[in-house]
Amino acid sequence: MPRYSALALLRARFQGARYWKPLWTGRTLKAAYDVVVVGAGGHGLATAFHLARDHGLKVAVLERRLVGYGNVGRNTTILRSNYLLPENHYFYEDSLRRWETLSRDLNYNVMYSPRGVVDLCLSDGDMITASRRGNAMRLAGIDSELMELDALERFAPELAPRRSRRFPIVGALVQRRGGTARHDAVAWGYARGATALGVDIIEDCEVQGLCTEAGVATGVETSKGLVRANRVVFATAGHTGMVGAMLGVPLPIETHLLQAMVTEPIKPLINSVLIYVHPGHGETYVLQSDRGGVVMGGYLDGFPSYTREGQWHRLEEVVQGAADLLPEIGGLRILRQWAGTNDMTMDGSPIMDRVKYDNVFLNAGWCYGGFKTIPASGAACATLVATGLAPDIARGFRLSRFATGHLLDERGGGPFPVRL
Amino acid sequence: MSRLICPFCGPRELREFEFHKTLPNAGDTPFERVYLRVDSLTHSVEHWQHIQGCRAWLHVERNPSTGAVLVMRLATAPGVA
Repeated sequence: MPRYSALALLRARFQGARYWKPLWTGRTLKAAYDVVVVGAGGHGLATAFHLARDHGLKVAVLERRLVGYGNVGRNTTILRSNYLLPENHYFYEDSLRRWETLSRDLNYNVMYSPRGVVDLCLSDGDMITASRRGNAMRLAGIDSELMELDALERFAPELAPRRSRRFPIVGALVQRRGGTARHDAVAWGYARGATALGVDIIEDCEVQGLCTEAGVATGVETSKGLVRANRVVFATAGHTGMVGAMLGVPLPIETHLLQAMVTEPIKPLINSVLIYVHPGHGETYVLQSDRGGVVMGGYLDGFPSYTREGQWHRLEEVVQGAADLLPEIGGLRILRQWAGTNDMTMDGSPIMDRVKYDNVFLNAGWCYGGFKTIPASGAACATLVATGLAPDIARGFRLSRFATGHLLDERGGGPFPVRL
Repeated sequence: MSRLICPFCGPRELREFEFHKTLPNAGDTPFERVYLRVDSLTHSVEHWQHIQGCRAWLHVERNPSTGAVLVMRLATAPGVA
């Protein structure tokens, strides 16, 4: 695998197209592995990468379709660690720190852009909630600033926070290190890095069943034949319910759609990620991609679905919120609109644990926070699979918490994945 | 499925309805009823409520892979067919 550098780029200039070789295709499936990872999305690839790099294991990643074909290529690329609960914010902060050096670690530019995440407050109550969350973060050593209008005006002048609005802005909780990254590059970078470490990434290979013997998993049945494995990891976010059905284990997960959309490209206008929860409406988050398109997203559609088609009423709500926030983008045309399938757990926090068998692991339930956790999830899940013990930062994500009442209910909303 | 047909009110916009939970329950204990879900790619049985309309509780059967609504009728008490 050639190392990318300025010099390599110069060499590529003279060699032309011959320099660029496929990065992960062409591997054949072997009969046995130490670990089989099911799902070549962000979490599966990152787990495989860390299993090979940190623990020296022989790993295969089996993917039903193509590398990065699911949610890793369908999200709005927001990175942040502004969570209230310690079990969450230490983990998400670990991830954010890994994002800061990820391009170097993978030798692949993931275009991490710490442009700041601005959580807007529209009332004194919002400010109180935001300061509570911000203080919890600061106690954990995570950067967080509560801004009133003067500071916000300096930080995000494009927002014109004093402008007359239906719901006037009174302040914001800002995390400056939050930002965005290039979603596809993350999948490609991990796939390339894992392949360089000897991981076999097998596309077009559907896992149809788990082979077991005397209460232990011995491998998986796939569309390309049987594969033996000492350990199996399911990283199939968006279809984890199907894994539950395959194993005969009901899981605390529902699959919901979250939609996003992008407008035609315009000149640089929005400097940070703006999150706007408007009363009686829902939620809109707005950012500008490096290409210039205004990316917008909102809340879940509200019922289980695998269609990948967003519902009109949610699109309307997201666009109304965006136009209320930044009236100047109201005339832009939407180029694309899409939806991704989200593993929604009953408390809104992820699951990283064994499931049913001692050597079968679940990396799932990332709700709408999957993209930002890819680096930490890969490292933590690899440690869990290789050593049998989850690292401290991921201890809270055990499956048994739903039965024992140790929920990580960030929203304080009870056992419903969708209610606002 | 941007419209649903309420057995009382007729065709109404989806936003008037609220999804509650998939059925059947994963088991009989409160934990199983509240937290666990039995998932299906092709046939989902659910409770919905026409929350911004007649507020009736509805029994809905859908295909979650296509979005097709197969059955929509008034929900009945547990144990009643």
